[in-house]
Amino acid sequence: MRFTKLLALATAMAIAAPAALTQASEIRVGFTNDADTLDPANHRKRETETILRNMYDGILTRDGDMTVVPELAESFRQISPTVYEFTLRKGVTFHDGSELTAEDVKFTLDRITVEGAMDGRTSPRKSLLGPVEDVEIVDDRTIRIHLGEPWPILPAMLPFQEVVSKAFVEKVGTDGLATQVNGTGPFRLVDWRRGDSVIMERFDGYYGGAGDIAPVGKACVDRVIFKVIPENASRVAALLAGDVDIINDLPAHSVAQVKNNPGTDVVTANGTRSFFVALNTQGDIFDDPKVRQAAMHAIDKDLIIDRILAGNAVAVEGILSPDAFGHNRELTVYEYDPELARAMLAEAGYPDGVDLQLDTEGGYKDVAEAVASLLTKAGFRTTVVVGEGSQLSSKWRTRGGEKTGDMYFTSWGNGSLDPYGIFVPTHRTNDRGNSAGYSNPALDQILDEAGVEADTERRAALYRKAEAIVNEDLPYLYLWVPQDIYGVSKRLKGWKPSPDSRINLHDACVD
Amino acid sequence: MPMGKLVERLLQLVPVLLGVSVIVFLMMALTPGDPVEIMIGDQNVTAQEESLLRQDLGLDLPLHERFATFLGNAVTGNFGLSFYHRRPVMDVIAERLPATVELSLVALLLALVTAIPLGVLAAVRKNTILDRLATVGSLLGVSLPGFWFGILLLMLFAVHLHVLPVSGRIGFSSEVQPITHFLLIDTLIQGRFDAFLDALSHVVLPAITLGLPMTAILMRVTRTSMLEVMRSDYVVFAEAKGLSRHRILFRHALKNALIPTVSVAAIETGSLLGGNMIVETVFGWPGLGRLVVESIFLRNYPLVQAAVLLYALTYVMLNFVADILYTTLNPRVKL
Repeated sequence: MRFTKLLALATAMAIAAPAALTQASEIRVGFTNDADTLDPANHRKRETETILRNMYDGILTRDGDMTVVPELAESFRQISPTVYEFTLRKGVTFHDGSELTAEDVKFTLDRITVEGAMDGRTSPRKSLLGPVEDVEIVDDRTIRIHLGEPWPILPAMLPFQEVVSKAFVEKVGTDGLATQVNGTGPFRLVDWRRGDSVIMERFDGYYGGAGDIAPVGKACVDRVIFKVIPENASRVAALLAGDVDIINDLPAHSVAQVKNNPGTDVVTANGTRSFFVALNTQGDIFDDPKVRQAAMHAIDKDLIIDRILAGNAVAVEGILSPDAFGHNRELTVYEYDPELARAMLAEAGYPDGVDLQLDTEGGYKDVAEAVASLLTKAGFRTTVVVGEGSQLSSKWRTRGGEKTGDMYFTSWGNGSLDPYGIFVPTHRTNDRGNSAGYSNPALDQILDEAGVEADTERRAALYRKAEAIVNEDLPYLYLWVPQDIYGVSKRLKGWKPSPDSRINLHDACVD
Repeated sequence: MPMGKLVERLLQLVPVLLGVSVIVFLMMALTPGDPVEIMIGDQNVTAQEESLLRQDLGLDLPLHERFATFLGNAVTGNFGLSFYHRRPVMDVIAERLPATVELSLVALLLALVTAIPLGVLAAVRKNTILDRLATVGSLLGVSLPGFWFGILLLMLFAVHLHVLPVSGRIGFSSEVQPITHFLLIDTLIQGRFDAFLDALSHVVLPAITLGLPMTAILMRVTRTSMLEVMRSDYVVFAEAKGLSRHRILFRHALKNALIPTVSVAAIETGSLLGGNMIVETVFGWPGLGRLVVESIFLRNYPLVQAAVLLYALTYVMLNFVADILYTTLNPRVKL
């Protein structure tokens, strides 16, 4: 009895409380993760970068089509295969009012690339800048980046780094930078409530952002808040309740619910994560390319995309996303044909079919089961075995070590959309993401060449050739690239999701 | 209770905690999954870049050396840097702990103020419809999974009725200066009644979800022990003396009937810690439970080790408190 009274009392008090108070010019993002730190050089998480990118700008950035464009730089050019020159904008100020100079940019890059540069420790982001060897200040507004070897993807990798103020970092130290922000971005930090939210307000001294991305100018709204809601169902509930205006990672099964709700809608961006089934090419069954091709014919990708992924994915025939640099548009399409698959399997010496296991993580269970049932129909009698992510990764990504499984349903992200970041680790002999145990010296050679080829057209041609090879060899059953799905409030205007999973709120407005 | 006994019991905690440290260290180290691999994620790196990262995280050392360092530092309360936050783990934990403690205390309070009256009522009205309802209710309370019940509450009170917020600890318009780091107390100290109500509206649903199984258990315990006491000779004697029912119940019976309730409550408070991990995730509560779950998936060894040790310490201390409470309330029992 008293329980009911208490509940009624709590409810009554909550009505009086400003619980769902929404200010006129405020955008709230229901976001899966909190920032690990506010130091842009001291983390390894994409979600942390997404939050920081609203307060920090980079030398370069990407537009909605993933084209790399200057941001704090005014222009850039390649002087030689190993030297890039960047001219900085004039009149860019940090949140504390000090002016951005070439010194700050050099300091930022040195802090990431030089061993022990962060109070004796090395930035965990060092590997994102590969062979960067030295940063030279030419004059107050010009810097040159010198590479140890040709690395054509430097411009594609620079948007991952944000520029800090040298004077500020020297004042507060690496410890201070973990919780304080002095960037050049459109918003300044108001409060970071650990584990709960990051609150930012408009920076009125903002220079306007990348000239190639309209609109150029100050941010539209007064305040933005990243509110951490890790649980999918709760994030959806927060959107439906009007507590937040944008949610990331909207589960496909909630798409209809969000669309049907009068105040909310669903928006998507082409993702950068490729999904595939690794086939153990060192095992007894899948060492035969014929069997691998048979398995490919057994899978009806369109059916799964339509029924389980709610139409939010693009089928692929190779490892690269259709948006990626060097993607080959003329790859063989292995049509869905279970009878042909069965016949090919019989031809390869398995007239009675085979019994197989498909490893996957809990999050992919539904889709993996659909794949398994299609395979089973064609004679690959498949059982799905669910494991934990990093445990499976240890089992499959053996770098040439012995492999025990049959098949592994997994994925690989490629935020830069440059093949270097996805093709090499998943396909090069004994590389860290090569879960199929695939080894093809001819392909290795092409990938090595493409990695240092400075001519863009020649480089793209090399990757097209590489995709044609793996499309025929099929170490993996290449499946699809899902779209990133966001739920948004209909009062939100001017915001579009970005293929690199960033949530840039500079252009976003609310009614 | 003699002081010597107390000290002896406290000293017994040392081997327990040492054992826990060994177990937690080995469990983390032996669990498949490489922290460096997870950290690099989907990226193309050279072996040299990878070994640099491994070295930076201190994972290049052999297991026994890492354990010696861990143990040596743990004694002084230094658990090293969190792999992801890149700050001392104790700092990171300290930021998140008050939210967890506050939620647990509110859940405990809710459980006590609901369970005891309901338990007494069920005992007094034994075998009536009320008793049956309470029994079914408590069965449900223990059986409903927290993540499901929590989302149900969310959908009802936040999405459909719009009376309570979905997640978080306090609204964004309420900036409160931290004093004790418990928002319900800080807001009152500063006379911010609006912020207090705001914080209260945020804590209600998670506290109900977290406290539900405990409420159910405590109610059953109170009911049973109340029934037992009501049958005892001294209560029968009091009735024969002609004392009012009210007086018998509250002055004589309840006091003794509550002894098991109190000790079970103290032990069950430890189980709130486990429930926190789920409830904090569902309600986006910025506490330690969620942080630990995330850290386990990321194999953030230092943080998990420190947090598990902290949990173990809390649990052991709560048991210790339960023992002391029991002997204080019931002097017939010796430690």
